[in-house]
Amino acid sequence: MSDRLTPRPVLLEGENVEIGQIGVAVGGGALKTLVGSCVGLVLHSQSLRAAALAHVMLPASNGHGTPPGKYADTAVPEAVRLLCKAAGEPSLACTAKLVGGAAMFAFHSGIPIGEQNVAALERILADFGIPITGRACGGGHGRRLAVDVVSGLVTIQTAGHGTEYLK
Amino acid sequence: MTISGIAPDRFANAFRRGAEDASAALSKWLGRPATLCVERLDALPISAAAAVLGSGDEPICGCAMRIDGVVRGLLLLATADAAGLALADTLLERPVGTSVSWDDLERSAVVETANIVGCAYLNAICAALEPAGSDGILPSPPLFLRDFPAVVMEAILLEQPFPADTVLLARTEFRIAGTPVECGLVFLPDATGLAPPQSPTAEPRGRP
Repeated sequence: MSDRLTPRPVLLEGENVEIGQIGVAVGGGALKTLVGSCVGLVLHSQSLRAAALAHVMLPASNGHGTPPGKYADTAVPEAVRLLCKAAGEPSLACTAKLVGGAAMFAFHSGIPIGEQNVAALERILADFGIPITGRACGGGHGRRLAVDVVSGLVTIQTAGHGTEYLK
Repeated sequence: MTISGIAPDRFANAFRRGAEDASAALSKWLGRPATLCVERLDALPISAAAAVLGSGDEPICGCAMRIDGVVRGLLLLATADAAGLALADTLLERPVGTSVSWDDLERSAVVETANIVGCAYLNAICAALEPAGSDGILPSPPLFLRDFPAVVMEAILLEQPFPADTVLLARTEFRIAGTPVECGLVFLPDATGLAPPQSPTAEPRGRP
């Protein structure tokens, strides 16, 4: 396989996306964030070489809705909208990857918030017809992730649980 | 009583007393002076709150307690990895540097430290804010976590019943004499974190 076709691992550099925010980039570079129970939602368009990364905190906005990246139900449509706007296209085909949704502290009974976040995103992405092509979710540890805007490769580092890649 | 209903100087004074009592409890627990080096009370956007322990790649250890009762919220004892292990060595009366990993004994040492220091801190805050005879605080057993600093903070931010865009954070940092140990307490009151629980005889809200 030539170098041109081999995804280049991202060394966790790039524009940082803060908690509850959405970052978008086109044509090059990387987007990164760090999640525990929150979920990093990556949308990637291979043809347009564009990516969006949302740092989702909670499964439902319940009418609150700002910032839109904070909630699963508002983050998906807003990330799609921003991706289209950045790429200068009225619509686009993209794929999704999900990273995070861990159970960090178990103070409460019931479904952990991280698991609720992942389930909500899976449901909403299905409603939007966006296929999920990679997941690194659950467990009890945080994840530092970066998405290469051109290839869509997601690099994930952990504290003591190794490094993995989602192609 | 709610956060917004407390005069700012009384509120700040309560947290100062909490920091002083926590420092005294840590000194007694370790058998050596613990110096209070930073004490702050800030309202921060959630993105800034997530970064108060730093944004680096070096893992830290955190022991978190869920607090219910007169004061409600999340309390975290946080130390850098090496400092936490040095704290464990100090408590176990071993030369600093003996502990190199977080085994059961080391975890138990810092968890118990969180319990003692955290309860001293919150009992002092309760005493400053509530009249004598109140029910005080109901802390959960501390839970241990070792991860990236921002992940540890995110974890306690998400434990709030309704995570808000701006949060109140009280931070206290200690230095322990004769050791390289620095550790800190972070307290995140729930949005209505100082509202007392309703009396069992009180009329339920919303009843006509």
